[in-house]
Amino acid sequence: MEHTPELSKALGELKQVTGLSFEIQADSLEEQDYALTQIHHLMLAYKEKFNKTHFLKSLLSGQINSYDITEQAEHFHISNEVPRILYLIESKYSMDDTLIEILKQLFPVPSTSYLVKMNECSLALIQQEKDSFSLQDALSTAHMIVDTLNTEALASVRISYSAIFRSLAALSQAYEETALALKVGSIFYSEHTIFPYNYLGIGRLIYELPTSVCEDFLCEIFGKQTSFSFDEEAMQTINKFFQNNLNIAETSRQLHMHRNTLIYRLEQIEKHTGLDIRKFEDAMTFKIAIMAINYLQTERID
Amino acid sequence: MASLSLKGIQKIYPNGFHAVKDFNLDIADKEFIIFVGPSGCGKSTTLRMIAGLEDISGGTLEIDGKVMNDVEPKDRDIAMVFQNYALYPHMTVYDNMAFGLKLRKVPKAEIDKKVREAAKILDLEQLLDRKPKALSGGQRQRVAMGRAIVRNPKVFLMDEPLSNLDAKLRVQMRIEISKLHKNLGATIIYVTHDQTEAMTLGTRIVVMKSGVVQQVDTPQNLYNTPCNLFVAGFIGSPQMNFMDAIVNIDGNDVTLTVGQHILKVPASKKQALIDGGYNGKTVVLGIRPEDVHDSEAFIANSPESVIKSTIKVYELLGAEVFLYFDVEGTQMTARVNPRTTLRAGDEAVFALDMEKIHLFDKETELTITN
Repeated sequence: MEHTPELSKALGELKQVTGLSFEIQADSLEEQDYALTQIHHLMLAYKEKFNKTHFLKSLLSGQINSYDITEQAEHFHISNEVPRILYLIESKYSMDDTLIEILKQLFPVPSTSYLVKMNECSLALIQQEKDSFSLQDALSTAHMIVDTLNTEALASVRISYSAIFRSLAALSQAYEETALALKVGSIFYSEHTIFPYNYLGIGRLIYELPTSVCEDFLCEIFGKQTSFSFDEEAMQTINKFFQNNLNIAETSRQLHMHRNTLIYRLEQIEKHTGLDIRKFEDAMTFKIAIMAINYLQTERID
Repeated sequence: MASLSLKGIQKIYPNGFHAVKDFNLDIADKEFIIFVGPSGCGKSTTLRMIAGLEDISGGTLEIDGKVMNDVEPKDRDIAMVFQNYALYPHMTVYDNMAFGLKLRKVPKAEIDKKVREAAKILDLEQLLDRKPKALSGGQRQRVAMGRAIVRNPKVFLMDEPLSNLDAKLRVQMRIEISKLHKNLGATIIYVTHDQTEAMTLGTRIVVMKSGVVQQVDTPQNLYNTPCNLFVAGFIGSPQMNFMDAIVNIDGNDVTLTVGQHILKVPASKKQALIDGGYNGKTVVLGIRPEDVHDSEAFIANSPESVIKSTIKVYELLGAEVFLYFDVEGTQMTARVNPRTTLRAGDEAVFALDMEKIHLFDKETELTITN
């Protein structure tokens, strides 16, 4: 039986996309329809496996062997050994087409900028840069991306960026760095929107500790009375005191509180925890403990 | 355009950082409000809460009487201009301004009308076909403004939009923004850390520090009657001179002792010191550099407000001279006429204009006399 026009067209497309030719013998329209469906599935699977986005996403998630990278990159006309940086952009709500379109227009050269949607809310931007590009430039670019998405899409976003890397093989490590930076940043530095991979401070140390170690540490500091039981007012006092670099006069002024009241509150904290947070060492211990609590709370929510 | 009301607005981040505390402000339609303060004082966070880019932890935000706390940013009818703006490099000025509207699927004819109107307001009509790289810094900034104007929003939110420009361009753009406010009749909230921008642009200024509003007032009132030591020091350049002074009340005579200098407090200021029971207490005496005089006539007329010192630095700025000297270990600045004969190393006599002094409680740092 002669092929239907749809089947002939699909066979042509298949050859164009994959280079494969098939000969189909179908004796009825039902058989031709079945063959057509199979060809469509085959093309979809081929595109999924061999398209550029799929390749980059696999590369980001470390699913491609290093010895396959060069060959596949060549296939997609992606230069292997050039300086690049990875930005990981996370939106508060789902990453809609508006945001992607804005980013495409901000980085309009398809051969040097690749956008890969990693999940509903996050998007990776792999950007080729000049040799002179520095991490200070990366910070400016990150600010520019956040401000542009804020103003043009009215979208609340956070962004992290990796070190500058020169080989596609380093992309998965860059992705790990940026994902970690976003995670650590949102737990410990939630007032910020930009998280450079190399500026995570003590938050990174705590994040990389097993939760059991954090729990032991908290138990050592607070005993059974953890700081969860501090009321909001006490925590506010402590945070303000830290924000003001342990300055009693400034803290009491900002809290509209007499300095003796503040001192009384700090003494109450000492009574409960044994930590006199007017002293640097105790303040540091307390601060780390609060950060550990934030971390544990987030882990439990997750 | 629109009015806004912020009642008891708070921002506490999940990590406990209390960025904004009990922010209260009513903004009238067509006002040009400035949030000013040092880095980290919560001004940008407040602006971002108004925009909807940050959740509000407590309090109520109303735009035109409608509570906006949980309304998505795109539904708040606002437009923003931020510091790190970027133009789409391969698009013309026209397309840059039209792009946001295209994304919102606004009809072509309407886009064209709005872009041309905005271009006219911003004097960009001749540049609509140019690409960003062919524009000067100021023109680019105007295009960024244009992208906000085409949206025809109820409120404009601007976060340090001029920070990336050089000093000359900043002055030029300041004038442009002021004109824009008049032409559009828009409600504008503008964040800056630059007090000159704040003083020249705002109809009212909100001075913030550590998440707390210090004073809300007109530029003139902020300058003339600061409510506390922080505002007094923050507003004005060079900043206000401060020295510790001991109050002496003897019947109806009130004097201030600054080291070896005894200064007579004028009638307009002394009652507050008497009523506040400041006799024998140390207060902070503030005086602006332009109220420290070196002219012989002024000194002769003010024998009870004379201070003596040695000039450390002489700075000629063309239209004025700044003289730097120490009084009882505190550095002071006088802004004097460029014809002054005083130079570095000279023994100098100055007289303070005591009608212009500001007195602050040393402990609370609040004003006593304003």
